[in-house]
Amino acid sequence: MIRLKNVSKTYPPDIVGLQNINLHIRPGEFVSIVGQSGTGKTTLAKMLIAEEHPSHGQIIIGGWDISEIKPSDIPLLRRQIGVVFQDFKLLPKKTVAENVSFALEVCGASPTQVRHIVPQALNIVGLLDKRDRYPRQLSGGEQQRVVIARALVHRPKIIVADEPTGNLDTLNTREIITLLEKINSFGTTIVLVTHNREVVNELRRRVITLDRGLIVSDQEEGKYLL
Amino acid sequence: MILVTAARVIGTAARSLKRNIWLTLATVSVLILTLVSANMLLALNVLGKVALSAVRAKVDVSVYFTPETEENRVQTVKIFLLSLPEVKDVEYVSAARALERFSDLHKNDDDVLASLGELEGNPLGATLIVKARSLDAYPRIMSALEQPSYASVIEAKNFDDRRSVIERIETVSHRIENGGIAVSLLFLFIALLIVLNTIRMSIYSRRDEIAIMRLVGASDGFIRAPFYVEALLWSLLAVVVAGAIVMPAAHFAQPFLQSFFGTSGADLAGFYRVNFLRVFGLQLGATAGLGLLATKIATSRYLKV
Ligand SMILES: Nc1ncnc2c1ncn2[C@@H]1O[C@H](COP(=O)(O)OP(=O)(O)OP(=O)(O)O)[C@@H](O)[C@H]1O
Ligand SMILES: [Mg+2]
Repeated sequence: MIRLKNVSKTYPPDIVGLQNINLHIRPGEFVSIVGQSGTGKTTLAKMLIAEEHPSHGQIIIGGWDISEIKPSDIPLLRRQIGVVFQDFKLLPKKTVAENVSFALEVCGASPTQVRHIVPQALNIVGLLDKRDRYPRQLSGGEQQRVVIARALVHRPKIIVADEPTGNLDTLNTREIITLLEKINSFGTTIVLVTHNREVVNELRRRVITLDRGLIVSDQEEGKYLL
Repeated sequence: MILVTAARVIGTAARSLKRNIWLTLATVSVLILTLVSANMLLALNVLGKVALSAVRAKVDVSVYFTPETEENRVQTVKIFLLSLPEVKDVEYVSAARALERFSDLHKNDDDVLASLGELEGNPLGATLIVKARSLDAYPRIMSALEQPSYASVIEAKNFDDRRSVIERIETVSHRIENGGIAVSLLFLFIALLIVLNTIRMSIYSRRDEIAIMRLVGASDGFIRAPFYVEALLWSLLAVVVAGAIVMPAAHFAQPFLQSFFGTSGADLAGFYRVNFLRVFGLQLGATAGLGLLATKIATSRYLKV
């Protein structure tokens, strides 16, 4: 599903983001990426959605080499990957349902598709009854669930989540992780970047640890090492 | 589906327009100002042409014959003049008619009338009024009449030379035109800057929305299109308002212009009526072109792909 071959990323002038990463993530996996601040986790996540491009090496997603993707093809890639980023917020002037349908509308979905898909996505995250609320009328955890619903509208095969629980308390964090596990159980590959030791330890799934741009450990049923 | 997309793009543009309502008003005002100044330039140009042709139409040569000249001599001269290629028209005024015109011209001048009465018979001869095809031809016509057989019967020739007036009108209208073009260009430049900046503000105020559109996979065209639509909406609005200012203004100025120029040819309102589509179509095209250019610059600069 996701394959990285000798991927390096250097930010100008010579800041190392990632160094010589080799990685294979199979369909349906739930992979946590951990590591200290500034070790390249976000860089890795951004390269998966072609927000950043590798300085060296190859990134192949679903058989598609996106290392030198044409700008006009990037939207196609992003419709196949759901994104949940920490600083990737909801629009405050749109309701929950409008925020979710926005992602469909701007990609040219028909009104019928919008009517059909939005309730489904909201149902999965358990917010169908709050569809007409505005983001400020929701808790932090609920807001993050709307973001996940929005990431689901294109029925992505992969979800990339960069610290989706960064601002949440333990209870809300657990809810979000449970939700991601549920989405994973439908067959969606999940790449989760996190700082949260408990989350990683409770998941008992694959854990990749980065340090200064290098993979220092890759365990099938991993623990938070640092 | 194309319709749905178009509706979404226009809806986005309209919302952005509403959100930045004051900026929109300022931008449209500058566009209107530019258009109105361009229209004033156009009106001056039209009126300058009217003035010139009015003056040109008044230029002629009067050939006064001695009172004793027989009519057939006069007619010979007339035929001669008409045979010249540069002569457009020759009007024959008989001696009696010349006297009539003269006394009519001086009907309020008792002294002149009294001295006329003292004279025996008609002191005036026949007159030929010559109009040439171009102003440059008059000196040649004058010299053609110098030949001895004609000179003996011609009492006087009067060339009402208005070339200095015409030149004055031409320099003044050139100066006004140049000044007008400068002002219009200045407005155009300001308009370009303001439109550019407004698009930039519009991009800024929608940055969160744009970031989301990018990450959920909206195409580049879909992200950019609303800004172009926005610029087109401003242009349309500006041209409509400018038209709503210019048309009534031309109509209102009509009586003043006609009495000022002394000719019904000074028909500014008529000019606008006849050329409505061309004039405002051109202005819409130019304004929209400006808006699109500014949007192109602004989006390629400030809208990170
Ligand atoms: N746009 C950029 N320009 C220059 N350097 C960058 C840029 N983005 C990231 N970096 C640098 O690359 C390195 C990796 O950054 P990255 O954001 O991937 O870290 P991270 O593991 O996500 O950290 P955190 O846990 O704090 O989010 C850091 O040294 C960072 O300063
Ligand atoms: Mg990060």
